[in-house]
Amino acid sequence: MANTATPNARRRISPGISTPSGDTTLTRLQRLPSHTRYPLTPSRLVTAATPSAQRSASRFTPRARGVGAPATPYGLRAIQQRAANTPGRDRRRSGRMQRETTFDILRNLGRALAPTSKVIKSSPQEKPEPVEEPKDEFEELDNEPEIERPRLSLPIQESEEEDDDASPEMRPPRMSLALGEEDMDITYRSVEYPRDASIRDRDRLSMMSRVTGRISEDFGETRYDSDDADETGIIGEEDGEDTMMSGGEFDRGGETEDLGRFHFDLNFPSPVAAPLEEPTDENVNDFDDFQLSAADIQPLDTVEAPSDDDDFGGDFGFGLDLAPPASPSASPGIVGGGLRDENVPTKTKEKKMSRHGIPVPNLPAGVVKKLATRFAHSKGGSKTKINKDALAAIEQASAWYFEQASQDLAAYSKHAGRKTIDESDVTALLRRQRHINSSTTVFSLAQKHLPKELQQDMRLAMPP
Amino acid sequence: MAQKLYPRGTVKRIVKAHSNRNVSKNADILIFLDYMLFMQELMREASIKSRKSGEKNISANTVRKVTEKTLRKFQG
Repeated sequence: MANTATPNARRRISPGISTPSGDTTLTRLQRLPSHTRYPLTPSRLVTAATPSAQRSASRFTPRARGVGAPATPYGLRAIQQRAANTPGRDRRRSGRMQRETTFDILRNLGRALAPTSKVIKSSPQEKPEPVEEPKDEFEELDNEPEIERPRLSLPIQESEEEDDDASPEMRPPRMSLALGEEDMDITYRSVEYPRDASIRDRDRLSMMSRVTGRISEDFGETRYDSDDADETGIIGEEDGEDTMMSGGEFDRGGETEDLGRFHFDLNFPSPVAAPLEEPTDENVNDFDDFQLSAADIQPLDTVEAPSDDDDFGGDFGFGLDLAPPASPSASPGIVGGGLRDENVPTKTKEKKMSRHGIPVPNLPAGVVKKLATRFAHSKGGSKTKINKDALAAIEQASAWYFEQASQDLAAYSKHAGRKTIDESDVTALLRRQRHINSSTTVFSLAQKHLPKELQQDMRLAMPP
Repeated sequence: MAQKLYPRGTVKRIVKAHSNRNVSKNADILIFLDYMLFMQELMREASIKSRKSGEKNISANTVRKVTEKTLRKFQG
């Protein structure tokens, strides 16, 4: 293209100078430069240029010039199509525009309504407490007369007036609750926190293999008491716990102490155990204090006593965490005295308290060990051994068993209207445990397990 | 067996403390009989469990795991 144009220009200039050349050539040459004079117009270039030159130009454009400026219309169309197919920036812009429009509408509305609201927004976070409370109080004061007015208008009798006297007394608690939500949260936490702890206690108790039925039964006994009794029970629970912690140190696992405390406090308001439980929480604490003082003889207790001060930490760490450190300290003393057993542990060990506040002696470890080894050998061959920790766990289980069984027996004897636990109560228990049925009797069981002297005593007590 | 099987007074005191009731003269024998059955069951379960987990001896953990189940069985 350029090659064609330049020679023409030269020819045009040269013949312009050399006029004598032919007219035909001049006219042709002049026609040609008329095309070349305006080379920038694309239509003339395209028409004038040969297809081969056009191809070469189109070949060069994409590579050399790059994407930025498409010279050919095809390139323009391609870019336009690409822009149409791919989401690109336009869609995002549109999405932004849509989202922003909603915000903008609101923002503009807000600006239109309250142009200076931004400055105010920062301040209410600090101020609202002093500001809202007086407002609420005024509102409450406004609310009261509004409610009272109809009542005043309706009644003329004195009885209605008494109701009016009663009604404002009823309202203030609502007002105090409705007074500022933040305040409400704070009070809820402060009030609810011990309650939460007690609930966790219950959960943990149920988790801790302590039979849940017991607890439910206890609830059944105490249900008819007022709620206030429960609250006092919870408060007493904390107090009892603090003192019982030290007692739990020598209890294997310390879990029965926890349980005993729990039961004890639940049963506290129940009329059944009235004679012993008439003493209030203070007296209970006195019991515990007495227990502490008795336990002070032992060095470990004095060490543990100061740590009892924190309520909730002791509450959470009590159940399982203290069990491992307690068991080794307790077990060697027992196992070491295994042969002498019967009197030694009851003296050295400070006594656990039952739910009724009565000290519970432990079954001597030698007896437990003897039974455990006997039954382990009878079932698992002669080689099975029971180490100290396992024995401690077994003793813990047996302590739980006695607690459970004696509570059941107490329930049976109470149902029968007796004050003593009788043989018939135990047989009822055995029957309910499916140990006694049509094929096996108490005597056959006794014959199987008990020595003859005990069988004789049993037969004396129970004529067949 | 020739020796005393268990201290009768201790068992009586345990039950009396937990139940806050008196225990009749020979009821503790039956209670201890039940306790023996409990121990039998407990050790049976523990030995089964320990054998299942491949332990030779009965460990404290297996006893603890079995305790709840066995106590449930002996719930009156």
